[in-house]
Amino acid sequence: MWPCVAALLLLPLGGCARRTGPSALTEHTAADFSDALHSGKTLFIYFQQLVSPTISLFLVELEQSADALQHYGVLVGKVNCNKESFHGYCAEEKAVNTVFLFRGGKEFLGFSLDIVFDVNSIVSEVLFAILREEIKYVHTETDLLAMEKAARGRKDIALCYVSSLGTQEHRSMMETAYVLCFTQATEIRRVICFTRFTQPWRRKPKGIGHRNPPKKLIHRARLSFSVSPCSVDETSRSSQVWFLHCSGHSRSMTSEHCPSTRMSQPLSTLSLHSFLQLMEAPLVSEVYQDPSSVRPPQHPYQDTPQVFLFSRPATKREDLYEATALAWRLRGLALVLLVHRSPAVKTPEEYNAAYKLPEKGSVVKYLRSNSADELLELFTNPVEEDEDEEEDEDEEDPEEEPLDALDDEIAESVFENRLNLPDADSLAQLTSDNFHATVAQSSLTVALFYLPWSAVSNAVLSSFSDVAERLEGSEVQMSVVNCAEWTDLCAAESGGSPPIPFQPITAFPTVLLLRPKESAQRYGGLLGAEALHRFITLSQPASPVLLSTEEEVTSFLLEGFARYKPARALGLFRTRADAGVRQFTEAAKSLRGEVLTGLLTDGLAEKWAAEHGVRLPAALVLPSGAKRTRASALPASASAQELLSHIGAALLHPVPELTVENLPSFLSLGRGLLLLFVGEEEDEIGHTQNQALLKEMRDVVELGGGWMERYLVCWLHLGHTPAGMSVLGSYLGSMPPLPALVLTHLPSGSEVYQYPPNTPILASSVLQWLQRVEDGTESAAGMLGGGSWPPTTELFDFLKIMDMQDPDLSRQRASEEKVEEGGDSFPARDKYPHTEL
Amino acid sequence: MDPSLPYLTLLILIGCTECFPDDRQQNGTGRYDYCVLGAGPSGLQMGYFLSRAKRDYVILERNSGPGSFFNKYPRHRKLISINKIYTGSQNREFNMRHDWNSLLSDRPNLLLKRVSRDFFPPADAFPVYLSMFEKELGLRVRYGVDIGRIGAVRSPEGRRYILTDQHELDYTCSVLLVASGLWVPQRVEFVGSDLVEGYESISTDPEDYKDQAVLILGKGNSAFETAQSISGRAKLVHMLSSNPVRLAWQTHYVGDLRAVNNDLLDTYQLKSLDGLAEIPLDKIAITQLKEQGWSRSGAKKKVNKPKFCVTLKKYLQHQEEKNGSDARRAETLEYQLDNFSMRKPYDRVISCLGFRFNFSIFQSSARPLNSDNAKGRLPRLTAWYEGDNTPGLFVLGTAAHSRDYRSSAGGFVHGFRYTVRSVHRVLEQRYHGNPWQSTELSTTQLQSWILKRINEASGPYQMFEVLGDVILLRGSRCEYVEEFTLQALPRFSSLSGHEVSKHGLIVLVMQYGKNKVDYLGRGRADTEWTTAWKSNFLHPVLYYYDKLPTDEEMKLRPPGWPLPRPKAIHHMVEDFLTEWGTPISHIQPLRRFLEHCVQTDLRAFYAESCFRLSLAHRKPPLFCQQGYLKRQGVARDSRLWQRDQDGGPMPTVRDEGTSGADPAFPAHLAQAGASISAGLKLDF
Repeated sequence: MWPCVAALLLLPLGGCARRTGPSALTEHTAADFSDALHSGKTLFIYFQQLVSPTISLFLVELEQSADALQHYGVLVGKVNCNKESFHGYCAEEKAVNTVFLFRGGKEFLGFSLDIVFDVNSIVSEVLFAILREEIKYVHTETDLLAMEKAARGRKDIALCYVSSLGTQEHRSMMETAYVLCFTQATEIRRVICFTRFTQPWRRKPKGIGHRNPPKKLIHRARLSFSVSPCSVDETSRSSQVWFLHCSGHSRSMTSEHCPSTRMSQPLSTLSLHSFLQLMEAPLVSEVYQDPSSVRPPQHPYQDTPQVFLFSRPATKREDLYEATALAWRLRGLALVLLVHRSPAVKTPEEYNAAYKLPEKGSVVKYLRSNSADELLELFTNPVEEDEDEEEDEDEEDPEEEPLDALDDEIAESVFENRLNLPDADSLAQLTSDNFHATVAQSSLTVALFYLPWSAVSNAVLSSFSDVAERLEGSEVQMSVVNCAEWTDLCAAESGGSPPIPFQPITAFPTVLLLRPKESAQRYGGLLGAEALHRFITLSQPASPVLLSTEEEVTSFLLEGFARYKPARALGLFRTRADAGVRQFTEAAKSLRGEVLTGLLTDGLAEKWAAEHGVRLPAALVLPSGAKRTRASALPASASAQELLSHIGAALLHPVPELTVENLPSFLSLGRGLLLLFVGEEEDEIGHTQNQALLKEMRDVVELGGGWMERYLVCWLHLGHTPAGMSVLGSYLGSMPPLPALVLTHLPSGSEVYQYPPNTPILASSVLQWLQRVEDGTESAAGMLGGGSWPPTTELFDFLKIMDMQDPDLSRQRASEEKVEEGGDSFPARDKYPHTEL
Repeated sequence: MDPSLPYLTLLILIGCTECFPDDRQQNGTGRYDYCVLGAGPSGLQMGYFLSRAKRDYVILERNSGPGSFFNKYPRHRKLISINKIYTGSQNREFNMRHDWNSLLSDRPNLLLKRVSRDFFPPADAFPVYLSMFEKELGLRVRYGVDIGRIGAVRSPEGRRYILTDQHELDYTCSVLLVASGLWVPQRVEFVGSDLVEGYESISTDPEDYKDQAVLILGKGNSAFETAQSISGRAKLVHMLSSNPVRLAWQTHYVGDLRAVNNDLLDTYQLKSLDGLAEIPLDKIAITQLKEQGWSRSGAKKKVNKPKFCVTLKKYLQHQEEKNGSDARRAETLEYQLDNFSMRKPYDRVISCLGFRFNFSIFQSSARPLNSDNAKGRLPRLTAWYEGDNTPGLFVLGTAAHSRDYRSSAGGFVHGFRYTVRSVHRVLEQRYHGNPWQSTELSTTQLQSWILKRINEASGPYQMFEVLGDVILLRGSRCEYVEEFTLQALPRFSSLSGHEVSKHGLIVLVMQYGKNKVDYLGRGRADTEWTTAWKSNFLHPVLYYYDKLPTDEEMKLRPPGWPLPRPKAIHHMVEDFLTEWGTPISHIQPLRRFLEHCVQTDLRAFYAESCFRLSLAHRKPPLFCQQGYLKRQGVARDSRLWQRDQDGGPMPTVRDEGTSGADPAFPAHLAQAGASISAGLKLDF
């Protein structure tokens, strides 16, 4: 670190040296190269074997970069292999087109001349390499979220998007990053990170005809940041920088993201530097003197315009709120000062704003502005003249109206898509008038009860109409009930006609399955198109199906259901009259839509039971996707509820995969989760590895026996369930290498334990590790977040505002005050008011 | 007219000989749990609730049919209660906001519009409607029972009321519900008040006022209705009362002058001979002008057409002291004040001063006190409409207007139909232990439920600032109690039978702004939610209390407020369409306020977020707990993520549930049996 600071101090000297003295490029001999190498300095050396026009061009650039790089403690040199032959590098053929970076006496990295071909590319690539450990990289939104979470309340983040490497912009960013990382290390408040939403292009070296191999690079999954504060304009492909204000926001109100400011000036080392400094400036400063006597901004903000807003004592709070809102929008463009009207403030009352430009001799200009936009224009227009796409960006700025930005993700997505929302009118409408007739018409009517203003209702309505489209032409009648209109139907008030077959609806949205002359079945699954469609499809056969022949049983167990592979449960009883049949039928009713159920009695039941080695009554279950049925004897007199849990337990996979949809049923078991995160397999080897891992996990369950029953062993595939990525990040603070095995959701506490990352995952060692965790000899790798979710924003306190603006309005009366009730009595003080007398 | 009339008369005759069909009849008395006095709209409304609850009740009516007041009044036979048939909505509850005449029942079609389709229906339609209401619901009404005396006695079972009719028959009841309305004309005593005709007896034929100068005392709707009726024939109409005219559309009080009656304001302001003036009526004197010999055209004198002069009492007394009683001409103000506006004599003076409660039938043991307001014309009542000093005696309908006199709609059918329901709920709780009807909700559903009520509920909308919904917070659940009488909030627990937990309560009230503004001028309406507390038009206000306010706090509440100062308050900004459902101005601020009341994040999350939050936290936010963790997560629909704007970043579709295009992995792991039950696998 010390040498870096020294290098920075050398900056003016270096500048002088370039003008007056020889180049900083050192031409090494074998001996002094060896000395330099062993001194531990960072060296960037080219071993020149050939002489060609291209190489000569490159050497000129290399020489220039030597000046720049010496500020960063990198000594640039060249070794002329033709003068003396070096062991190694001069002899190697690949060295012809490679420049080498040495650190700590060792070769650190080789750069192809395709990559480092001019000053900018050399400086940026070398610094890029040096800073590799210091700068964090963001590949997905999840990465960013994890980083923001980690920084929240502690640090700010400078987020840079580089459209192509090796450019002037890249260099500016790297130089700034270097300064931030190495010279301000003692008070790091900022993390610089790079986004690579798409793989950046490398700039094509001029003069060197070389094929670029970018195809592989850009052919990556495109990840986008729809809800992120930083949306990259893919078409412009220009580099961008954002400042994420995480340090001041322990809990952001608008989203999980920190508030952000985008740098709007063209990118250069200088502009980036002053942008970052400007971000540190207070958002709004309050002054009590006239704008004309306010000092111009001090270093380092001397080149920034000042905007003055005037505040009256009566509206102090509102004024500050407005000023803050404007300051957020002007951040990076101008400094906002709130001038409190006092005798010292001479500005006439007619003006409510003023500004002063940074140019020497400029005076304060006063104006009367009706909207923040007017002021904003003053400072954004000149900058944006050559950047048209900026305007769109501003409109989407989520910080524009901090209080009015929707901070509820469902409300926000519905609002954003309000023009695309499906029209409820395109679906059949159930009303108080047509309810009974409609339900009587089809064997199955699915009804969505919704409220038109509810965002959740609208989100579900969208999925629902998707299902309705898919089911068009089928027996199923898909319909909606607008509960803002048919309030009596939703309240299940029949008003004299036949009774309504459901309880009053008190939760919106609700999906009911209605069959003629039956009471309604409430859909209790995920409110999404796929899950609902599956449920409806599987609800169509009777539940249970009454089976009486061998063929029927076989087809019940094997028949496919569209693309669904439902789990099946078959009840085996001695006779139809068996007491258990009624309970099983009841259980089957509540499984309808999720599990196919069948009922088998008499001789055939005896036969199937005997084949499976169980006695009647019994249940055969076939979990989804399984090949073999499992049989189990049923208790002779089980209630429907007991049967349900029996079937549920029989269907439970020993090592299930966690998905967004099924997590709730596993969490409800209340067991600790021994959770294996696996990544997406790229090839056959990956598959085999994952298979082997799952096998080990099954062995953990088997070896552990009863002891393992307190844990649910499960796994999560980050390719199927990308949301798992940020979970893993939040457990461990960063993304560990995959696969990762963690123990979490222990009933005893919030600790999260990580299985040693570099140890092979073997059943026996996992069990030993678990034992150590139980013994308390393992230390936690992280903690679960708390379970308390305070209100998202501060109270918008109307009482306080009233008190401020009209203190009497909301004050309780003092007890001696006369309480006047109604009162039309003739007012005594004014004997003949308003009379024409 | 009424086919059942002969039968009813017969019944009364039989009643005299103690042959009531009731087996309760003992010693010439009827015993009932509930007696309802009067079969007007409020009596029948209460009858409906008692009948639905299967209570032992009787409605006693002195006339032969229901709502007899409306057979005579309003004298000019046009109701000014709106009967809006077309609202564009099928929501029955919402439509009641614009139906001011119908009573509440569970019959969707038992509405006034079946009788009349006029926006301002003819008065005759109303008794017809009431009769239909009574018959279709089978209410127990005894017609022709004229109760002349009401007393209270103490008995071992508690206080009882004894009602005695014209035949000295007694009706004994534990609870007496006085729904007798207001029908005794209100009078003001002044010198010469005996010379005044009353609204109740004037001719309604405009021809009778031809070329006459008419002075009307009063500036209410009956006064203007009369003025409007005769103004086409009368020479001039002057209106006199102590207060300037108050316009209903400015005061939001439907008892003030309705625009439908205000033609005379036109002719006054356009100087077409009519006029308004203000003098307290007890300060005036009206004298009959005697023939005097000074007239030069003595021969042409009209005979039997007396003229009336308006003067002030003080001049009258002054003259009397000096010259005794014989100073007719000098007493007129024409003589006293040079340009007195009423210096010309009138042909008629008509009193249109409204009606008062008939206190005369109550013996002292049962007599309610006079109200402090409304010139003492009404009985004084508790916040739950019980007589202040007469436990078990409740007053319903127009007579109960002292609770919200000149401020809300409790004196009118569209208001008191709801207060009657509230009183009935008080009765059910007090005498039968049935707590007020309530709905239990998850706290995450509270916002939707509040919005639903705000957008459709008629009770709090009509009875603004008087009835409000009370939400009892219980952590993750809450209890929603509709239409509680706000002034009784300190007694909420005992009146409603619901306990208030340590989580506190929210009260939802519809209210008008209290600022005097130009109601048609610029700046009358607010659209910014941050200044919602300045809204002038009807808008929802939520009051949050951590515990019930005390009687004292209620008494000392800020001037003009329906409730004491709460812990936190939220105004929802007034809306031009009275539809409070916009995401940014209405819903989000409400949600944020509720978050502070229940001290938790109430945002909604997609299933995927809930998944993350559930795995990364000990407990996810409430929405995830009550939805996702109960397997009812909200999947992100792919269509909601396809923006139609170009240029912007394409949102990710990687999380959406529908794509089956993930071909590589499942083939291998399917055999491993990746999920617990039917098809759960790979759907997400």
